[in-house]
Amino acid sequence: MAEHVIEVEDLTKNYGDVTAIDGVSFSVNEGEIFSLVGPNGAGKTTTVEILECLREPTSGKAKVLGHDIRKEEMKIKEQIGVMPQDFNTFDRLTAKENIKLAADIYDKSGAEEIIKKVGVKEFENKRFEDLSGGMKTRVGIGMALVSDAPLLFLDEPTTGLDPQARRETWSLIKGLKRMNKTVFLTTHYMEEVEELSDRAAVIIDGDIKITDSISNLIERYGGGVKITASKEKGAEELIKKNSDEVTEEDKDELTGIFEDREKARKTLISLFKKDCNVSVEEAGMDEVFLELAGGKLTEEGELA
Amino acid sequence: MKKFISLFRALIKNWFRSKSGVFFSFLFPVMLLLIFSTVFGGQESVEYTLHVQNNDLVERYEFSLDQNYTRYLENGTVHEEMREAFEEKDHTISPDASMSKTGDKSWEINDNDRWYGLEENETKIDVYTLGDQVTCLSENFTKGLRKTETLDIVTLDRDVNVTEYFEDDTSFGESRRALIISRGFQEKALDKSMELRMKVIQDTMDRIGDQYDMNESEEENFTERQEMVDRWANRTKTGESAEVLLLTSEGDQVAPIIEGTVYGVVNNFNQRMMGVEDSTVEVESESIGRKDLEGADYYLPGLIAAFIMTNGIIGVTGTISEYKRNGTLKRLISTPLTKANWIFANVAQQTVLAFLLTGVMVLLGVVVFGVQVYPNLYALGFIFVGAVAFCSVGIVLGGLIKDVEAANGAGNAIAFPMMFLSGAFWPLERMPSYMQSVAKVLPLYYFHRGLTEIMILQDPSGAVVPFLIISVFGVIFMILATKVTRWKDM
Repeated sequence: MAEHVIEVEDLTKNYGDVTAIDGVSFSVNEGEIFSLVGPNGAGKTTTVEILECLREPTSGKAKVLGHDIRKEEMKIKEQIGVMPQDFNTFDRLTAKENIKLAADIYDKSGAEEIIKKVGVKEFENKRFEDLSGGMKTRVGIGMALVSDAPLLFLDEPTTGLDPQARRETWSLIKGLKRMNKTVFLTTHYMEEVEELSDRAAVIIDGDIKITDSISNLIERYGGGVKITASKEKGAEELIKKNSDEVTEEDKDELTGIFEDREKARKTLISLFKKDCNVSVEEAGMDEVFLELAGGKLTEEGELA
Repeated sequence: MKKFISLFRALIKNWFRSKSGVFFSFLFPVMLLLIFSTVFGGQESVEYTLHVQNNDLVERYEFSLDQNYTRYLENGTVHEEMREAFEEKDHTISPDASMSKTGDKSWEINDNDRWYGLEENETKIDVYTLGDQVTCLSENFTKGLRKTETLDIVTLDRDVNVTEYFEDDTSFGESRRALIISRGFQEKALDKSMELRMKVIQDTMDRIGDQYDMNESEEENFTERQEMVDRWANRTKTGESAEVLLLTSEGDQVAPIIEGTVYGVVNNFNQRMMGVEDSTVEVESESIGRKDLEGADYYLPGLIAAFIMTNGIIGVTGTISEYKRNGTLKRLISTPLTKANWIFANVAQQTVLAFLLTGVMVLLGVVVFGVQVYPNLYALGFIFVGAVAFCSVGIVLGGLIKDVEAANGAGNAIAFPMMFLSGAFWPLERMPSYMQSVAKVLPLYYFHRGLTEIMILQDPSGAVVPFLIISVFGVIFMILATKVTRWKDM
């Protein structure tokens, strides 16, 4: 197997006059959870569907598990597990019947085991149409997983789920990594990216702005660490001395912004030793996105 | 193969668990078969209600008036002297009553609902009223109507105003039909019959005179008798024919049937009045060669064909477009399933449904309506070809149209006119000729005709052309289905 399970080079897809993705290039390493992050309409689903062989690219190259997406479609489909966006399946079949159907299609026999692994056992005999959003997602992941494929594509698996179902799905996805699966995830939830991903690519208007590990992205684009402390016990002097920028929104408090995480860490230790009243706000993917896209993503995935 | 079988199983299960799917594909056709065969195709002949009011009553002698009253016999209002004379006999005549001459020596007085007949004798004037009994001829005419298997005769009282009677009671619905036998029916019929008989005798004698060679003595004898006949003919009354009035409501669909039946009875009656007992032409009715199609015989293959067609065109179109809309198809396309797996699984599903539908309908037809069905391999083959053909149309529509509502609309727009125009629900002969021409370009026409030939008439040779037409139709749409079903960029 190739070191890069997915290799994309200058991939473009036009729908008439509209360019959905414009010369994107990235690669996904074996065994990692890779997230493609962006607002609605950025080109996430188009990209993932090209890699799943559901769409023909206008130009560019891509290999999935070493197979050319244009020439070896069936080989790719046999080795990937897919959970499409707005996942749906035969709604009057039970959860178990749907997972068994997927197993039969992939000619695999581990349906029962997967049903247990993805937590479908307790509602396996319920019809798909009667399941909650979280349950449906479990069935969808089960149907992708039953292929026993090394690479799974999960296209916005938690969109529309309530917070608890979302966390349960995250737990399931983390479990996939433990099963040595490579997961290609698309999402517009920054929290999800931070929680699950090893690496991420930020896509905006069909163009991938950056691809890197989550920690590197935050470090490079997150805008530093914010340390807020009470103006007492020498905290004010310490923050003003070490930070890159100071703001005072309250007469009793001040906030220092640290671009250098190491410097921030040392300052924090010193403040703790002085027993100062301190709070820390670490930059995350939200800030990264704000920096790269000039706006934040709403719950619905729109750029605000 | 495993992929195909699994998908086929999933499609079947998913379909069978849909209550609306099962209803429209199985229960609905079963209901239609029950309704059509019971309502339109029962073993008993259909009878249409006809109300009959017989006003031709036997005249009853009441009293006589003195000959002096002859001078008051005149058209117009009844003379006061005459009214007083009636009053003396306990018969009151109103001032509005009118008198009119009806014959050489006969008059009548009409006083609202009452009628008096006056006959001049040499010494007196006899007055008659109407009795309670209807005349013999009018009664025989009514019996003639009753004897037809088409008419259900309901007698109306004589005091009923027919028009008002029907207008007041809306419960009659379309059976607002009445035949009124007027007063004088018997007398006019007898007079007319005598007049016509004399004409026939005269005509016959003329022909004898023209056609046969006679010697002098025979000719003399013949001429004498001919003159005698002419004298009697001149003495025979001439007048109007007896009339019956047939009233039907506007828009009554069966009015032509009623009229035809009444004319038949009238003709028969006329012949009897002329003394004709035997017919010169007899119509003998018997079926030749092929079995006559009774109700369920006709509807069974028609409904089977129609619902295999609707299951294919409406059902498959709707299902595929719904799978496209809700992402189920995308889920399947992302797996190693092939387009062929998908198309053939749908075709197989429709074929199984078609066989099941046929089984259920045939069972019902045999058990409930005693239809003689001849299940055979030809029938199975034809049902298979039909299911494939119409399912292919559904796959084409489902593949072409993205919007679910539009796809359903297109399926309905094609299937429903075809269902009603193809003659699947009623014989083509009942449709206008231009509609019959339309029917003959519809594939459903050939499908149900072929099924009828094979299953009911037991004549597979009659289904060869329909089979070929449906096969070609199926192949064309199967090719189109593989072309328009998108397995990428859908």
